[in-house]
Amino acid sequence: MLQMDLDIGDFCSNWSHCDLLSAYLARMVSHNRLDSLLFSNLYSSALNELLETVFRVHGASGKLECSVRRQGGLDRIELVFPADEDIFRVYREAIDKLSGENAEKLYLEALFTEGQPDASLGLLELGVDYGARLTIDRVGNDRMCLVAELTLEDENE
Amino acid sequence: MIAENTTQAFQWTYNENDQEFALQGSLRPQKPEELSNCISALEQSVAKVSGKFYVNVRRLVRMNNVAFQAIACKILDLVRARADLDVQVTTSSVVGWATRKFAVLETMSDKITVSEYDSEFYPGQSFVEDSEFIHVLRTQTKLTWRHEKELLHKHGLRPGMQVADICCGIGDFAVLLQKEFSPDRLVALDHSRSSLDYARQVAADFGIRGIDYVFGDAADMLLEDDQFDFVTCRHSLQVFDRPELILKELFRICKPGGRVYVTNEKNSHCLGEPRGESIQWTYNEVARLWHHFDMDIEIGPKSRRLLLEGGFEDVSIGSFMVTSADGDPQGFADIIASWKNLFAGKMAKERGDDPAFIERFAKGFDDHIFAALHPKGYAGWPIWVASGRKPQ
Repeated sequence: MLQMDLDIGDFCSNWSHCDLLSAYLARMVSHNRLDSLLFSNLYSSALNELLETVFRVHGASGKLECSVRRQGGLDRIELVFPADEDIFRVYREAIDKLSGENAEKLYLEALFTEGQPDASLGLLELGVDYGARLTIDRVGNDRMCLVAELTLEDENE
Repeated sequence: MIAENTTQAFQWTYNENDQEFALQGSLRPQKPEELSNCISALEQSVAKVSGKFYVNVRRLVRMNNVAFQAIACKILDLVRARADLDVQVTTSSVVGWATRKFAVLETMSDKITVSEYDSEFYPGQSFVEDSEFIHVLRTQTKLTWRHEKELLHKHGLRPGMQVADICCGIGDFAVLLQKEFSPDRLVALDHSRSSLDYARQVAADFGIRGIDYVFGDAADMLLEDDQFDFVTCRHSLQVFDRPELILKELFRICKPGGRVYVTNEKNSHCLGEPRGESIQWTYNEVARLWHHFDMDIEIGPKSRRLLLEGGFEDVSIGSFMVTSADGDPQGFADIIASWKNLFAGKMAKERGDDPAFIERFAKGFDDHIFAALHPKGYAGWPIWVASGRKPQ
């Protein structure tokens, strides 16, 4: 298990932190995989979308805790960050879209929307395109937890 | 063109001759506006084009949804606005997310096609991926290893180094490297999934740990710059139509001061007695056959020039001869028999050779086998070994 804690304000001070953090963690967790390069590339893409979502939608102040762990072929990414009820609702609506029958249609709509991407796009992509299982929960009154469970390598390949 | 005013390291180029707009690097902007120069360049490029327009994202290693949305919507706008335009997006199977992500474009317009590039780059891949070829590859490695084991020391390989074996094939050379030189890190890369599956299985069966077998395109590797003390690439420059592209990548991943080691053949120099004339004729024809498929099986002695022109210094070159007198004449004969099957079988047929030619062509291999197994005979297969140092 790996965990990184940083102040949400520091994290959000520079967009490139999403890229740097996802690339760094992807490299750290890519050992002992069927194919470390392919895994690292996919993991970095998935984690980056989660981090970019948090970068755009988060509460005012507090810590961003990012922990990753592995159990067999399943990789779990857990992000805990400041979030009031309004913020939490954004995530809940995105997850609700994924549980519906037309998740793929909603994903494509979000993907080809003109202008700025919808905040839920990254989560929809993870759910639809990466087959990730996404869950959210409240952590105390002013924080939330976003969990993504991914299987990025097919052991039978 | 290199992106400005952005932390993302990406480039775009337009090749007018091929009507191809290529994007490469890491494309994770915060806002679509950061791509405005790139989008403008795309618009300008396509303005001069009718018919098929190629968008090449093979070397686009990372891309976030902001970038995808900007590029994808622009491509969709283009095909919708221009009746005379079709777009072909080319991805790489080496970049895991790319084909899946871009494939959604096909669902949005029947004027957009998305395909994975790769196999066309490797003219010989379909020939050597054949599972029956595995046995001969293993025998080849067994016969060359007795020479290379010593030569690798002379070319600077030492225990504890960071080593990459590029175009590792079925991975048996990497296993021997691991056993003999105990590298700190050993990455073995190949472009054949079936060969890598085999390599992983062999390593598991033999209890060999520590070899990182990875799928990759030797001409477009995801491996980062300046990582390895010693990079090997054996019998592979000869199966690429543009070996200088592979050497460029070998140079890139090698640490400054590290060495790149290549082995290659010059098949027309294969020899044997008795029946030397027939053998000589056939191997001259082998060189022509490979040339027909855009491969140069004569590259061996050219390795020195390739390394020098690739920017290496302290280039060292030599050759050794695998022979029937090395102690395993039957193994040698097995290799020639498999060459006969491949060259005078599949490849000659695919070239459209007539039966009379194929009969004479095959006879030279039979004569080579005869020489190898003859009690007073001698048969040889020469290999050139070269290495160069990446400047500090």
